[in-house]
Amino acid sequence: MLFRQAGIFHTNYAADRALFPIAADRWMIGILLAFGFAAPLLVNSLYLSSYLLPWLIWTAGALGLNLILGWAGQFHLGYAAVMGIGAYATVHATRAGIPWEIAIVLGGSTAAIIGIGFAFAALRVKGLYLALSTLALQFVMDWVISHVPAISGGTQATLQAPDIRLLGQPITSDAGLYYVALVWCILVTSFMLNLRRTALGRALIAVREKDFAAAVIGVNSFYFKLVAFSTSSFIGGVTGAILIGTFYHAVTPEQFSVDVSIQALAMVIVGGLGSIIGSYFGAAFILLMPGAMNSLISWAAIRFGFSLSIETLAHLPQALYGALIIGFLLIEPLGLGKIYNNVRDYLLVWPFGYVKK
Amino acid sequence: MAFAAESAGPVLQCQSVERRFGGIVALNGIDMQIERGEIFGLVGPNGCGKTTLTNAITGFYPPQRGRILLNGRDITGLAPHYIATLGVARTFQNLALFNGMSVLDNILLGRHIHMKPGVARTALYWWLARPDETVNRAAVEDVIDFLQLEGVRDELVDGIPIGLKKRVELARALAAEPSFLILDEPMAGMNQEEKEYMARFILDARDERGVTVLLIEHHMDVITGICDRMLALNYGAMIGSGIPADVVADPRVVEAYIGGAHAAR
Repeated sequence: MLFRQAGIFHTNYAADRALFPIAADRWMIGILLAFGFAAPLLVNSLYLSSYLLPWLIWTAGALGLNLILGWAGQFHLGYAAVMGIGAYATVHATRAGIPWEIAIVLGGSTAAIIGIGFAFAALRVKGLYLALSTLALQFVMDWVISHVPAISGGTQATLQAPDIRLLGQPITSDAGLYYVALVWCILVTSFMLNLRRTALGRALIAVREKDFAAAVIGVNSFYFKLVAFSTSSFIGGVTGAILIGTFYHAVTPEQFSVDVSIQALAMVIVGGLGSIIGSYFGAAFILLMPGAMNSLISWAAIRFGFSLSIETLAHLPQALYGALIIGFLLIEPLGLGKIYNNVRDYLLVWPFGYVKK
Repeated sequence: MAFAAESAGPVLQCQSVERRFGGIVALNGIDMQIERGEIFGLVGPNGCGKTTLTNAITGFYPPQRGRILLNGRDITGLAPHYIATLGVARTFQNLALFNGMSVLDNILLGRHIHMKPGVARTALYWWLARPDETVNRAAVEDVIDFLQLEGVRDELVDGIPIGLKKRVELARALAAEPSFLILDEPMAGMNQEEKEYMARFILDARDERGVTVLLIEHHMDVITGICDRMLALNYGAMIGSGIPADVVADPRVVEAYIGGAHAAR
């Protein structure tokens, strides 16, 4: 395989902390990045705007949730609410005439501020109780957004999002919108990659693993939980704003309801807690699976000549999709990211399996 | 001592420290003074309050009565993470390493109080965090070299043997460059050879890194071998203190440890 090499030998500490010490990994990242930037030329615009674009945005979202769930180990069932806050704040800010670049930062900051205010109360409890109180954030936000006409534009209303403008230039082409999502996804990914090798990331893992041992080495658990909540809320808020700006083009409360929170949670769990590449896999899996299941079942129905009622057809993919998530949790709790790592570790030294990395 | 004292006066003073859990008096009027550069032994039967005293010093169970002074400063009732920044490090009786991280990252976490973790620094690693990370990485390498952990540097802590885990935990504590180090049974479950290694590391840590050590141990050969002074506890009260050879010979200490019949002889 391409991975094979004799060993990793560093001569200075900066190289020891490099993101991708293995040359084959650097090649792979380079090729993926090149493909990412060339995609509008290579992929037809239907696939670009209905598969690649939402995949990148949801990956950024899943990474933000992974920060709080996978790194800091705090449950968050209200992530869609945070995304919704960012989306509504950005839409209102752009409608008020604020440039879009500033508006998304405002949206992210609003989400972070509300997230941190909420975290102050919620972080007094741990584990399942925290999960329940974050669920409360979801329902409170749902209610506030739909019941305050100043935010939602009235009951059952759809608020039209103004076109994205970067430096005054409106961005309306599929390629342009795709690049916005791509750049945001790369920014979030690079932040998460850096989190793996900085004091902040280590402190978050310390808080997740053993809070008493974290305290004894000088880590203030409560402070770092707040940092994790606010950073993840910022990423969520901006992601929500970009999702509206590039994909939905209009905002309604249902786009950020509780099932969207669960969906984001499923992306992180299926992808792998604390795994960056896993968030990419998880987002793809959750976005593609219902559709893929649908086509598979209709194909099988025709191929093997059985007929299913419309209702069964509608519910079967949901059931299979649920079963797959349960299967993952039972068989590989660390998700697709872990499966990828296992394969990679095997190929790294193949065929000399007894050699250590 | 082989090194120059940073400042005069004792490193740690406990003044009639008392800690109760409901009706149980876990610590009853403990007076203890640890001088700079000492290795101070703390012994006693199981449940006598050794670990509670440690937890009182590190802020997990602040004493209800009495005062604790570190380098002359009152630290009674301060939060554990804040006490850590004042130069107190400790290891745990039942290991408290962070699973899922490499040995290297665990020891780097020991440098936490010397680093400046932040969101902006993480986002702009190449410009803001790299110098800090590199300097601390070098400091960690010193500790790895000191404790001879080069071979397991990149292993996950989950998978290494317990003797090494104890050494990694000592490394994490030393990486913080503490002035006062508490070792809670660092040799529990070790064989003779590992014990001798650990005893050597503790002596070296004192001599080369200028750490004052509070050592909790059940192995009396270790206590008499490396400790300068010691304190024996029983049922939360002090039953003997002074030079190890004298304390260990004290009939009350022998009685507490192995029963009255032997003490009578």
